Amino acid sequence: MKTSSGRRPWTFYALAAFFALFVLFLYGPMISVLVLAFQGPSGALDFPLRNPSLIWFAELAHPKGTGDVIGAFNRSLPLALIVMVLSVLMSVTAGFAFRRRFHGATLLFYTAVASLIAPGLVLSIGILVMFRFLDLPAAWYSSALGAHLSWALPFGLLIMFAVLGRLNPSYEEAAYDLGASRWRTVRDVVLPIVFPGIIAVALFGFTLSYDEFPRTWLTAGTKNTLPLEIWTMTTNVTSPALYALGTVTTIFSFLLIGLALGSILVIQRRRSAQR
Amino acid sequence: MNEAMLAPDSTRPSDRASGEIRLVDVTKSFAPGSYAVKDINLTIPDGSYCCLLGPSGCGKTTILRMIAGHETPTSGEITIGGQSVVGLPPVRRGTAMMFQSYALFPHLSVLDNVAFYLKMRGVGKDERRRQARAMLERVQLDHLRDRVPAQLSGGQQQRVALARSLITNPRVLLLDEPLSALDEFLRLRMRGELKSLQAELGITFVHVTHTQPEAIALADLVVVMDTGQIDQAAPASTIFNQPTTPYVARFMGGQNVLTGKVEGQSGELLRMRTAEGWTFEMPAGQSPPAPGTTASAAIRRDRVTLRKRDAEGAVPANAVPGVVEATEYQGSYIKVTLNTGMVHAFVANVGDAAYAAEPVVAGDAVLASWLPADVHVLTKPDLGDAGVPYLDISH
Repeated sequence: MKTSSGRRPWTFYALAAFFALFVLFLYGPMISVLVLAFQGPSGALDFPLRNPSLIWFAELAHPKGTGDVIGAFNRSLPLALIVMVLSVLMSVTAGFAFRRRFHGATLLFYTAVASLIAPGLVLSIGILVMFRFLDLPAAWYSSALGAHLSWALPFGLLIMFAVLGRLNPSYEEAAYDLGASRWRTVRDVVLPIVFPGIIAVALFGFTLSYDEFPRTWLTAGTKNTLPLEIWTMTTNVTSPALYALGTVTTIFSFLLIGLALGSILVIQRRRSAQR
Repeated sequence: MNEAMLAPDSTRPSDRASGEIRLVDVTKSFAPGSYAVKDINLTIPDGSYCCLLGPSGCGKTTILRMIAGHETPTSGEITIGGQSVVGLPPVRRGTAMMFQSYALFPHLSVLDNVAFYLKMRGVGKDERRRQARAMLERVQLDHLRDRVPAQLSGGQQQRVALARSLITNPRVLLLDEPLSALDEFLRLRMRGELKSLQAELGITFVHVTHTQPEAIALADLVVVMDTGQIDQAAPASTIFNQPTTPYVARFMGGQNVLTGKVEGQSGELLRMRTAEGWTFEMPAGQSPPAPGTTASAAIRRDRVTLRKRDAEGAVPANAVPGVVEATEYQGSYIKVTLNTGMVHAFVANVGDAAYAAEPVVAGDAVLASWLPADVHVLTKPDLGDAGVPYLDISH
């Protein structure tokens, strides 16, 4: 906003330049990857872009020199969905439990969120060692699932505690006063009110799992998840197919976030707009 | 199941069971060794408007919530219409509660908020919406039925909350500080609406408030509470004119409290002498305190006459000397605060004509006097231990 004299102080330009630099760092790499994904058959891994084409996207679908991208995706997606569902279920029920101040609640809370601080790689090694010791097979659906939950669940808990902590208890009392059973109160009053929070937990659960590298590294077993596959490709694939894969997964993530935010928006609009 | 239990669900007012509320030796304790309320005995007649009045933390809301079924008494009995309700859920009690912030469900339209009770009872969509609309028409909000609570003003939200409570067809409506969220103008209007609604429905209203004018304007029965106990439960005019304790006298405003030793009785008049040596008389009443004991008396502020005083002469009976500390114009009268050397200021509400005849300003030495008939003995002496909350909120 302009001051009354119309002159901006020098700090405005300094901060604007700083912000521009920040935006460049944020989106520059993403845009580079996006552009280079359309590299022609003779093009290299860096600029300039020659004879733009879609061949690297085609290679993703029919891998020759690249790894098993489709297979990795077919493991990452169900894993992320399972982590999402479990995060939501556990966070919501734990959130309800923590609304009553029970004995040892604080200790339990810190125990649950402490794994946020533990370094992911160390945790990954620990889980692998533990599975070996117990003679259990390490796979994406067992050890990696546990590792991902140790990461996604604390976030879910923190969100649900904040959401349910802010929920005025008089809504539930009003429902009780109007003859609602405990289950009807949860179904007809509490869950609809905290629904945006539940979507946030689901979103966190999904993306934290879908993107997770350090905690998956040693726990995924013999078959890679998508982040592991991309990492492998950076070491032995030297074609722009890497960029095509980056573009596809980024768009997939954005679509998902857009879907979640969109549904929150629709709910809020329904609540505030005249029907 | 007997008749009384079925009654709240019926729609004909003539079938409505009695809404008389009786609390017998009710105690509620949230932590061992401390009491929210203790040994409460109270009868609220069927069809009356009762205000529970007191400062925050006095236990008035706890009593309301125990009647509503949102708290269970630690000991004691609560009956509504002669039947014990302890342990029963609100719907089975025939009570409905209106919450302080109304607690309208933010995700439901006004219509669905009002229809919520019927939905929980399994009434079909068309039928419950029809009944909810009829109820909204009664509170003149049918045109807002598709809005959500966030789009309503405070007064409209309150009326929706009323409609949502009344659709349960209760014999007792419980209101927790229903007017505190409204601005001054709306508060007076909704106060009037509550009063006429109660008269129209004829059911028992129990209304929790910390504001004296609200209680006096609305209630048939005012229950003044102090730290978990009932100080006085009586009609508004009795509470205001004949408070029984120093706490009630001060809390309701409009009274000065003087404390002294009872000297004796001559005829119908009881004589007291304060520590300062001032004497005053009052009607002895039914059971006057014994001579030699410490007692307190209340003197109405609007019955006090002020005269300027220049000499350090003797103070006559039924008067106290003081220095004017402040004068406050109140329209029809002037509130004059005197420093008499006592702990509490002595206040005289002087009518505007009398004030014009003999105006006083801050710093003037005056003598405040009154007639024995405008004094009455309190049942408890003022030992200075009673709380003195919200002194002088009312003029």
